[in-house]
Amino acid sequence: MESTNKIPPRWLLATIRTCDAVSLWSGKLVAWLIFPMVLSLVYEVVARYIFDAPTTWAYDMTYILYGSFFMLGSAYTLLKKGHIRTDTYYAAWSVQRQGLVDAVCYVVFYFPGMLAFVYVCWGFFVRSFEQGERVVSSPWMPVIYPLKGALFMAIVLLIVQGFSELLKSIWAARHGKWL
Amino acid sequence: MSPEWIGILSLVVLFGAIFVGFPIAFTLIAVALVFGLIGLGELTMHLMTLQFFSVMKETTLASVPFFLFMGYLLEQSGLMERLFRGVQLLLAPLRGSLYLAVLITATIFAAATGIVGSSVTLLGVMAAPAMKRSKYDVRLSAGTIAAGGTLGILIPPSVMLIVMGPVVGVPTTDLFAAAVVPGLLLSGLYIAYTLMRSYLNPSLGPALPLDERRPLGYVLKELIFGIAPIVLVIMATLGVILAGIATPTDAGAVGAFAVFVLTLIYRRMTWEKLKKAVFSTLEVSCMILLLVAASNFFGAVFSRLGSATLIAESLLTLNFSPTIMLLLILAIIFVLGWPLEWVPIVLIVVPILMPLVQKLGIDLVWFCTLVAVCLQTAWLSPPVALSAYFLKGVVPDWELKDIYAGMMQFMVLQIIGLLLILYVPQIALWLPALLRE
Repeated sequence: MESTNKIPPRWLLATIRTCDAVSLWSGKLVAWLIFPMVLSLVYEVVARYIFDAPTTWAYDMTYILYGSFFMLGSAYTLLKKGHIRTDTYYAAWSVQRQGLVDAVCYVVFYFPGMLAFVYVCWGFFVRSFEQGERVVSSPWMPVIYPLKGALFMAIVLLIVQGFSELLKSIWAARHGKWL
Repeated sequence: MSPEWIGILSLVVLFGAIFVGFPIAFTLIAVALVFGLIGLGELTMHLMTLQFFSVMKETTLASVPFFLFMGYLLEQSGLMERLFRGVQLLLAPLRGSLYLAVLITATIFAAATGIVGSSVTLLGVMAAPAMKRSKYDVRLSAGTIAAGGTLGILIPPSVMLIVMGPVVGVPTTDLFAAAVVPGLLLSGLYIAYTLMRSYLNPSLGPALPLDERRPLGYVLKELIFGIAPIVLVIMATLGVILAGIATPTDAGAVGAFAVFVLTLIYRRMTWEKLKKAVFSTLEVSCMILLLVAASNFFGAVFSRLGSATLIAESLLTLNFSPTIMLLLILAIIFVLGWPLEWVPIVLIVVPILMPLVQKLGIDLVWFCTLVAVCLQTAWLSPPVALSAYFLKGVVPDWELKDIYAGMMQFMVLQIIGLLLILYVPQIALWLPALLRE
């Protein structure tokens, strides 16, 4: 097919590569949080069971890191096509059709959801930040706005990567090739 | 339109969108948002942030990345291959010894990992060449690897059970305890079946040729120094969880740390392999946990609309006995397990059926175990059997039809196992009751 070989304009490729790079590097950075997560709990277990001196911070630390870990890594996973989809039908379609379906779904499902999310999430974060909200159920009482900020950042990253995916699917729908 | 029917309509749209093939997490968010705004109003917007945030703060779910990391470290380090080699050498003179070695390795690996994909791939890579060299039956070999690999999703620390706990409202530790005996029962059924067939027909699994054997002293040394430490770490991690000494999250972190240290001691870890383990952990954690968060949001909207209660009540008017109803529920889950993966089934379908299960007075731990075995079976059911594709991916010269034919034999064993657990609930409930005392 002739259209398959059409060369994408430079601005399009540049936009896609920039978005992809943001997700790729944010993911590569966030992935290493697994080590502080593991180490803070190992420290806690040793302190508690061997020295009988549990820490006040390890549990809060674990969920703050874990919550940031999977939310901030979601854009990377989107880039790597890691979010599961049912490919019973999808896999059998032509690239054009896959691109068309994806493009429609990004417009109908993805962006309305994510844009609404980023809007409420900003308020959620700002309220917490202004009040200096703390976790009262914990002896350490950490401020919680960084975790809410991570949720907000994660949605921003998902919007950036979603934009790249939308461009890729429109190109696929028109020219039958995934960029 | 009443709120209940708005909820039902949202389900129809949701399943439509799921089958179109868009990533499920994002479909869930959009559908919950739109139907929530129609049925509940502005509250929906706040439910969204609150539900996501509560999943981010859920320490039990933090064990998911730990167990994934532990599995990937073992996979990348090649320590499981060493275990397989050791068991294989020990059993070499026995007919069907490779089947036995695959299944023992699979069962031990299942106690360290929480997912299916990596086990099938790993077993395929290490066992298939030896099976081909030793002229093993292709179908039985493929079936053994595929079935053995699926044990990872059933035997604790199964990620499926970690996710199912909060959905059903049962402690994860209870679900872990309940899955131990059924997991071993199935593994035992596989072993009995493969050994029986090799015994009756030696051409299916001949004893290994002499050049594949080693002196006993070498084998014992290998087992003690190469294998025992890793098995000990895996068993200790599970043991402290089951004994209620540590939470799955604590044990998962310490287990992952111990496995990491072992891979360093054995000099099996390189920078490239570590990076691969770390990035795979992130990718699969995000896939599962983002879906957990999105379905929690959907579930919060759906339950407030009252549709699950409506579904439960209308099904109850059918007046079936609880047993028939349970069989019906399991059949629905099994059938949905063909096109769908376990994640959406556990997170979307199970919560919809929960009010019904509760009204029928079915024991929840037993129910979860049955669901888990059902979904594990779905991995083996052609034509949409992911295990077959994973296996075909690493052993390209095995025909897909032979892999299917092998898996079908193990499907029969799965159904026998499922029926046993159905008629003897003690298989699932005995260990949790024992540990609670």
